[in-house]
Amino acid sequence: AKTIKIGTIAPTGSVWYEAIRDMAEAWTKASGGEIDFKIYAGGVAGDEPDLVRKMRIGQLHAAILTVEGLADIAPEVLAVQTSMTFASDEELEYVQEHMAPMLEAIMENRGFKVLNWGNVGWARFFAKKPVVSPEDLKPLRLFLWSADDAYIEAWKAAGYHPVSLAATDMHTALQSGLVEAFATPPLAALSFQWFALAPHMTGIRWAPLPGATVITKSVWDSFPDDVKPALLAAAREAGEYLQREVRKLDDEAIEVMKKHGLVVHRVPPELVPQWERSTRAGSDKLIGSLVPPEAAAEVARLREEYRNLHRGQ
Amino acid sequence: MWVPGGSQRAATPWSRAENALAGAALVLMGLLPVAELVLRAFFRTGVPGVSGYVSHLTLWVGFLGAMIASRERLHLNLSTGMVALPAAFDRVTSLLAAALSVAVGAGLAWASLRFVLIEMDSAARVAGWLPVWMAEAILPVAFTVMTLRFVVQAGGWRERAFAALGIPAAAAIGFLLAPYASYVVWPAIAALVAAALVGAPIFVVLGGAALVLFFAGGVPVAAIPVETYRIVVSPTIPVIPLFTLTGYLLAAGGASRRLVRLFRALLGWMPGGLAIATTLVCAFFTTFTGASGVTILALGGLLLPVLVKSGYPKRFSAGLLTATGSIGLLFPPSLAVILYGVVAHVPIPDLFVAGIIPGFLMIAAVCVFGVHKGIRARVERPRFDAREAAAALWESKWELLLPVVVLVGIFGGFSTLTEAAAIAVVYTLVVETLVHRELHPTRELPGVVVSCATLIGGVFAILGVAMGLTNYLVDAEVPMKAAAWVEAHVESRVLFLLALNVFLLVVGCLMDIFSAIVVVVPLIMPISQVFGIHPLHLGMIFLVNLELGYLTPPVGMNLFLAAFRFERPLIEVYRSALPFVLVLALVVVLVTYVPGLVIGAGGPGGLVARLD
Ligand code: NA
Ligand code: NA
Repeated sequence: AKTIKIGTIAPTGSVWYEAIRDMAEAWTKASGGEIDFKIYAGGVAGDEPDLVRKMRIGQLHAAILTVEGLADIAPEVLAVQTSMTFASDEELEYVQEHMAPMLEAIMENRGFKVLNWGNVGWARFFAKKPVVSPEDLKPLRLFLWSADDAYIEAWKAAGYHPVSLAATDMHTALQSGLVEAFATPPLAALSFQWFALAPHMTGIRWAPLPGATVITKSVWDSFPDDVKPALLAAAREAGEYLQREVRKLDDEAIEVMKKHGLVVHRVPPELVPQWERSTRAGSDKLIGSLVPPEAAAEVARLREEYRNLHRGQ
Repeated sequence: MWVPGGSQRAATPWSRAENALAGAALVLMGLLPVAELVLRAFFRTGVPGVSGYVSHLTLWVGFLGAMIASRERLHLNLSTGMVALPAAFDRVTSLLAAALSVAVGAGLAWASLRFVLIEMDSAARVAGWLPVWMAEAILPVAFTVMTLRFVVQAGGWRERAFAALGIPAAAAIGFLLAPYASYVVWPAIAALVAAALVGAPIFVVLGGAALVLFFAGGVPVAAIPVETYRIVVSPTIPVIPLFTLTGYLLAAGGASRRLVRLFRALLGWMPGGLAIATTLVCAFFTTFTGASGVTILALGGLLLPVLVKSGYPKRFSAGLLTATGSIGLLFPPSLAVILYGVVAHVPIPDLFVAGIIPGFLMIAAVCVFGVHKGIRARVERPRFDAREAAAALWESKWELLLPVVVLVGIFGGFSTLTEAAAIAVVYTLVVETLVHRELHPTRELPGVVVSCATLIGGVFAILGVAMGLTNYLVDAEVPMKAAAWVEAHVESRVLFLLALNVFLLVVGCLMDIFSAIVVVVPLIMPISQVFGIHPLHLGMIFLVNLELGYLTPPVGMNLFLAAFRFERPLIEVYRSALPFVLVLALVVVLVTYVPGLVIGAGGPGGLVARLD
């Protein structure tokens, strides 16, 4: 029997954990008991860059990753995360679906097999003061979820005041005023309870956070060929379950936070182009340095393609 | 007076280069964040990628420091002066220990080389341009250099040749014995424990254990450097070298003398006043130098004659200075608290607030005991001299402002923890070299900085391999299994707390605080959650217990340092510290069973909204 060690930063009992467990059961069954799992949840095996490192050296075999860990393997994934690009879940889904073969080929080249794709939700802005236009956000000290140095510099260049900080220090930083705003998916704002200290949410979806379940290619290749289709099908099913649940949780999280004092500030349509221009001023700088330009161009092309297809509707 | 930085004379060009690189990296760690702050505030620009630079400079300071520590034979070990063996036997055992150290060093060098080679696949860049593997390359370099030094330091050519056999031995075990790995574990662990007793460095013992366990578990040993890298570059860790440097600069700049004068002038007239003054000065120093031992080294020699001269019994005085070497452990910016926060994922400022009452209880307990002794011994009490007090206050005003600068920065929302620590370095540097002019910037400063880097190297070498050992425990799911066992077998919360106290007491007897935080905290966290112990309360229980561990034999850092500083046999130091152990144990009991003493542990502030 082969024991698959899989890591995630999502805590035990979360939907991500449930998805792994369902997949694990299906894999054990499909392999006739030849495959079983050890799940390292809640970050006990480290943050995402650590999970990727541990897969590379062979200590872990698989992981559920967000864009943070995925970009360590294939920076092309960052192209999907660009600011203010997608108008709807459907548009994003279309682009991700059509990007998948290209991204999977790149990942496979770098030693990883993608089992399923998903999203961790849409990052939104939370602040201590109402933020409606980009000019409201610019003077505030802004925490960006797991942003690396290049991102911080890009935001600075666009006129914002990003602060780099450990997530564990966020609570105190919000209390002392070192951080006045942050961008995370609603679920994170709720589960860390940061929103209580920054109760103003801006009513735009700034960027999607792509995610994926990956397994090292060497382990995947060690499975018998006749079992692989069943394994892949089970993984895809877990991915679809996650996609549905996460979308639901995102909305539920906002409702729960509203009951506890969160105010959502609607952004008038005429301000949306301003948000697009302003937040993209920074991230466009990353194309060519952090984000490979071909991937960025492909994302832009697919989005136009989707819009052309649905223009009449 | 003891001044840090005496022993790192660099004889060869290679040693000089090592010193220069380590010292420059450490100073840069202080300057970069301050430059960033100034540029941001006044010119609306900044130093691009400063946090990435500072994290990786920490890695370099730590492992260049570890190289220097092995050059100077300053790696911490468990047994300095503990076991006295007949000379012939001693030669044989230390030769075996040297060969074992070489074998472990070679194993760690191999593991980190594997790690760096694999990391070449990573797309990650430091500060947006430097491939991470280039920064990580210091790990295999450092472990290789340390291994070679273990060989050279074994003795004459014959001894060196024997010690060098450790390298082929490690290779033979690693490549040929893999099928029999599980048979290697216990003999290897036994050999490591024996080596620890005859003076092998702690990092060799822990690193060897991690290597053997991963080897037997069929997990690539590169899993050790993965964790070393992870802990050293985590966002708050740079604070440790920075505050340690602050402590070294203070000590070298004469701050200890000024503070002793001040507290004596303010409190000397009271019954037991000098004992109280001693406790407070030591607490002040320990907050900045943490568990590093600088307090005993810097203040012990200064204060012991003063205490004895004014009539305190000698044994009490030595015990007091031994015990107070860790007394400020819970106050900001103590390194132990910061490391605990990093490892346990608890907000560090919350931990400091939680530590206010337990910290003052520790100080109060020692002070009350000191007053009692002072009255019994009819110690002379000078009259209060307002003029002297005012003069002493004026003389030490710059040092007294330092905690204010740091605390306002952190709690006022002006700076991150790392920035506050960097400000403390630059502030102290200016005060000691330009204002007091007791630290010569070219003649004395470089030695102090290198000496500090050496100590940091000793600590980081332990931290790094201890993380590797923890990684093994997590990989083998030990914390989860232990939690399940305790949940099934321990009924009540009180019983659990009792068991926790006893367990931590044993840990404190056997481990230094840094490895204990790294290895033991992940072990007890899941179990404590089962019993609903608040994370801040658990933090305090752990830290006060381990504070006691500084004074409990056989492994007690303060005991070793006091024996070294006062030039007394260890057994005598044990005896003089014993009354203080009992006094402080009372506080441990209070903190454990009265959670109300821990601010913030009554229940998480705000709301508890969960989706499930
Ligand atoms: Na001890
Ligand atoms: Na100890």
